[in-house]
Amino acid sequence: MSASNARITCDIGGTFTDVVVSDERGRMTIAKALTQPANLFDGLRAALERAAAELAEPLGGLLGRTSLFIFSTTQATNAILEGTTARTAFLCTEGFPDILVRREGGSLRPYDYSRPFPEPYVPRRLTFEIAERIDADGNVARALDEAGAVAQLARARELGAEAVSVCLLWATANPAHELALGALIERELPGLPYSLSHQINPIVREYRRASGTAIDASLKPLMQRHLPEIAAGLIDEGFTGELLAASSAGGVVPMGELIDSPLWSVRSGPSLAPVAARTVATVETGSGDVIVCDTGGTSFDVSLVREGDLVFTSETWLGEPFAGHLTGLSSVDVRSIGAGGGSIAWVDPGGLLRVGPESARADPGPACYGLGGTRPTVTDAALVLGYIDPDRFLGGKMALDVGAAETALAGLAEALGIGSREAAHAVLAIANERMIAAIHELTVNEGVDPRDSTLVAGGGAAGLTIAAIARELGCREVLIPRAAGVLSAFGGQHSDIVREMTAPHVTNSKGFDFAGVRETLAGLRERMHAFEAELPQGLGGEVRRRYFVEARYAYQVWDLSIPLEGDGVEDEAALQRLIESFHDAHERIFAVREPGQKIELSQWKGRVSVETVKPPLAAERGELADGAGGTHGRVAFFPELGEVEIAVHLGGELAAGRSIAGPALLIEPETTIVVYPGWSAHVSELGNYRLELEDA
Amino acid sequence: MSTPPIAEQPTRGERFDPVALAVITSRIQGIVRRMSNTLFRTARSSVLNTARDFSCCVVTRDHELLAAAESLPIHVMSGPDLVSASLARLHPKLRAGDAYLHNSPYHGNSHAGDHCILVPIVGADGEHHFTAVVKAHMADIGNSQPTTLWASARDVYHEGAVIFPGVKVQQDYEDIPDIIEMCRTRIRVPEVWYADYIGMVGAARIGERELHGLGEELGWETLHEYTAAWFDYSEEMMAGAIRRMPAGRSVAHNKHDPLPAAGAEDGVPVKVIVTVDPGGARVAVDLRENPDCLPCGINLTEATSRTAAMIGVFNSLPIAVPQNAGSFRRLDIEIRENCVAGIPVHPASCSTATTGIADRVANATQRAIAELADGFGMAETGTLTASVADISGKDPRHGDAPFVNLMILGLTCGAGHSRGDGWLVSGEVGDGGLMMRDSTEVDELLYPIIVWADRIVADSGGPGRFRGAPACYVEYGPAGAEIEAMWSTDGYVHAALGARGGYPGAPARQFLRRADGNVEPLPGWGEQTLAPGETVLATSAAGAGYGPPWERELQRVVRDVADGWVSPEQAEQVYGVVVRDGELDAKASERRRAELAGTSVPVPELLDVEQRSREIADRLAPYVLAAEPAR
Repeated sequence: MSASNARITCDIGGTFTDVVVSDERGRMTIAKALTQPANLFDGLRAALERAAAELAEPLGGLLGRTSLFIFSTTQATNAILEGTTARTAFLCTEGFPDILVRREGGSLRPYDYSRPFPEPYVPRRLTFEIAERIDADGNVARALDEAGAVAQLARARELGAEAVSVCLLWATANPAHELALGALIERELPGLPYSLSHQINPIVREYRRASGTAIDASLKPLMQRHLPEIAAGLIDEGFTGELLAASSAGGVVPMGELIDSPLWSVRSGPSLAPVAARTVATVETGSGDVIVCDTGGTSFDVSLVREGDLVFTSETWLGEPFAGHLTGLSSVDVRSIGAGGGSIAWVDPGGLLRVGPESARADPGPACYGLGGTRPTVTDAALVLGYIDPDRFLGGKMALDVGAAETALAGLAEALGIGSREAAHAVLAIANERMIAAIHELTVNEGVDPRDSTLVAGGGAAGLTIAAIARELGCREVLIPRAAGVLSAFGGQHSDIVREMTAPHVTNSKGFDFAGVRETLAGLRERMHAFEAELPQGLGGEVRRRYFVEARYAYQVWDLSIPLEGDGVEDEAALQRLIESFHDAHERIFAVREPGQKIELSQWKGRVSVETVKPPLAAERGELADGAGGTHGRVAFFPELGEVEIAVHLGGELAAGRSIAGPALLIEPETTIVVYPGWSAHVSELGNYRLELEDA
Repeated sequence: MSTPPIAEQPTRGERFDPVALAVITSRIQGIVRRMSNTLFRTARSSVLNTARDFSCCVVTRDHELLAAAESLPIHVMSGPDLVSASLARLHPKLRAGDAYLHNSPYHGNSHAGDHCILVPIVGADGEHHFTAVVKAHMADIGNSQPTTLWASARDVYHEGAVIFPGVKVQQDYEDIPDIIEMCRTRIRVPEVWYADYIGMVGAARIGERELHGLGEELGWETLHEYTAAWFDYSEEMMAGAIRRMPAGRSVAHNKHDPLPAAGAEDGVPVKVIVTVDPGGARVAVDLRENPDCLPCGINLTEATSRTAAMIGVFNSLPIAVPQNAGSFRRLDIEIRENCVAGIPVHPASCSTATTGIADRVANATQRAIAELADGFGMAETGTLTASVADISGKDPRHGDAPFVNLMILGLTCGAGHSRGDGWLVSGEVGDGGLMMRDSTEVDELLYPIIVWADRIVADSGGPGRFRGAPACYVEYGPAGAEIEAMWSTDGYVHAALGARGGYPGAPARQFLRRADGNVEPLPGWGEQTLAPGETVLATSAAGAGYGPPWERELQRVVRDVADGWVSPEQAEQVYGVVVRDGELDAKASERRRAELAGTSVPVPELLDVEQRSREIADRLAPYVLAAEPAR
């Protein structure tokens, strides 16, 4: 068995490094180890060694038969949030040094002056103005002052810049000045990594382009060190296959691409969760819209699959909207809110129960961890309700203190004037509400109705409340994949190579420039061909090229991305169909359409995906014996039933085809699934769980 | 949870279920946010689709403000309540499918430049339960001049606004064509107005659809019980906040800049009397001792008089309190008829009722509270300048198609306050920091203009223990065609005032740069035809400081110097912080601070913003003037 060809994916997170190994028969091995921030490869090797041990073979043997290794990491995202990226200089057009300082303005909270105005990604003291100006039509309004630029670069060097980002006004219309600065940087500061805005992300709107460029440059030193280290480490251990890396475009690219443009690695791991969900939902429930929830200890990520396609956004903020930093890229839309097992419950001065945003984090953690935490958290509430087995938390690795959780909840219950169980239930309901709000924002934005969608849940805390969330959303079906605990790494197993290219060309529906658009799309096609040609031989399967255009009604400024049929807009009839699909999309998302209104088309995109050979989804579960006798009882509280004795099943003991009626608990090594009253759980042929709401 | 869905949740006697209270609040806030998002993404004018100068909210059947997530404060605190009440008087029977257009300053609206769309939410029972209100600052409203903010309009006739006191504009979900035609024949660039109108209707209809769904799911009576409980909760939060405030009566004065109108030639004095009663948990703001309505466009409306005072109070609350009719019960705003900061009498013009005097009232209110005790209130925020201007003309790139828009550049003026420095990106005190800036590139794409600079001006932020936000310098001009620019600003003569020993912010300055390089001063209000090659140089009015500057944390000053926001000279003279070659000289600083604590520095010396602006202008002169001939 061990002679077969393997595919390995890893996801190096802030705490854990996850590894998934699959073989040609679809057998999947999952392993985890602690991440070693100083040398990422050490943590990765530990996880790989565990997987190899489980497969009863040496690491060198496993890596030797691995044809494809897919890598994703949250290092880039974490470095940005923790402010540990390189000291980066920012070069801008003279007169506009405060682009990064002021962002686009805005705030989510009027009257809240308890926090300072957010810091810019690059401070003013590392910002350098360059005398030059390109106008909106791409004309040189003011020539580039090269001598002045050289002096500014010398100043940047004196101040210890480790990377340089360049964003000049209208570089998208005419990149001559950015290119000239690039050449000057290479001459004056040889070896220093730099990023030019028109290459990183050629969009109009100077702040978002500048922000993405500054982030990209600031990550280069870090990623140019880490990624080759990982590659070298794997090769040393005997790996000879192809190495790909996840990007935020919802696919994978050759690792060299991320070294050149590390901005794409920001939030790349979470972008694979909808890929995993789509894979599972397609085989388990067929097509349809899918809402994807990934619940970790401190954050809740939600994403969407609409009519089989991942949903993209240009509004990816690192941190809170308006106060964080915008990547500006068109990438998979994953909304993240700070909510999880550690969120603290409290009663405000008006007597209202609140949950979060403050978190007990890992230290001291929830009260039940017994590490000194005394304030009640979501995990404490779930424990008090009997939804967590204190002896089997994290596969039994951590014993939980029920008494401490009870004490923490008792204080809250007293302040609210209700019983402890009711208070615990209220804590979960309010924690759920924040997640429901995040889901609503995303689905309404895309015109998706949750009642017609399937919910796919992953992450350690997924199973605790997902059915309750589904019920509030009106969803009747929930899928919890076998690999729920490692959703992103599992998504990597089923990713294609995806790369997106953009080219600006402005035209409109009333005077459509057929020739110009044809030329623009031909240019995109050429770039896609060049990308495909550089892929390692034998990697790719079927190549799919899709084209999109960013369109809006005349004088609007926010675009909708509309897919083109085929590979162009060849004639009047094709144009009419494109116009009609824009009106439809506008009505779906914004409730109104304006027939006859002029439509402006500005940005053309080509997305090439090269299919990779994927492991089959194996029917492994069918081989297991039915462990019906292995259940034991436990007391849990549900408001409509009060305290009741419920069945507890160990997930591994359930055979395919089994159905469990709620209330019950299903205990998996990485998560516990609460089957609420009125719900039933089914074990599918592929070993995934399907929760269904029975008809009332 | 596995609880029955919230619809079936029982209320516990008189007390509304606390979980349902939190859940329904989250749902309704979500609905309002979705209304906002719809208008933001579909609108045509950059004042809406970029600067976000609009608001969305839900009002109860009793005309009380229920929820207004992420909406501009000056639009919503009072106004939606008044227009809803006025609508009920004029249209006793509201039906599903109706929509109403409202902009009347005499019937509860903020000012004529804000169009409101009101959609009654009518249940399957045929009863009116709530009203969805969308209010947006339009690019044009058909005034006699192409501006929506016109301080020198003598009265509503001179202003020329078409006034809609709640006119039915849709029935059975269809436009009423004669009203739409009325607008299209009067409002400039009618296609853009109509598209913005459609965006507003779309936002209101999304609110209607979702609230209707919620009402039918939960039962309308449950929603009304919720409303009462949410108001009680909010009132309790407000009472708790006021109990932590210092008791006392405090009077603050400031002055609006002079205007060419009888009675305003020397400026318009504003007086605010604030009484905080922590025992009774109430705050009173008395605006009655202000001048009668003036023959110009700066008179406030009832909505903005009340709201301006409320903003000053909310800015000064020690904890976050929800903004709705419940918390407002703890406020007593006293105003009178025929008063520049009160209730206007027709035909007084209220063209600039959301800025100007409104900013002065809000600023005086928060400064009055600051003077009660250290650790409370705020200094004064700066004001709008010519970097926020109505621009209009014909665009040669689009076959001379006409355009008109409120351009929003610059936008830095937050006030130092008891807990920190001025919020940097803010247009005026009434925007609560929610306003957004235009993108230079988007403005240049949409309109035939070129922007040469938009940058912070050193030494302009009012010095204080907590510094006011610095001013910004914006330079712009036409590209390839003549444009008309109009602005009505304040803060040119009378700067934002500091609190508790903080210094004022730098006043606004405006200049015109001729094509031959000559730079001439421009007045604080006015209109200007700009030929290609000419530019407007606008420096905004900066925010003021809170507390004595020599009490400012040393490292904050060192960082301001490193970032170029404060010069080493100002750092030493005013803050008493000696920075040499980027390094703090602690001993010298200690000496200088001791000296300053005894004798304070005269104001003009430290805020020579005119000089600073001219320095920037001079530095940019070769840059701007050497430009290739514009398109």
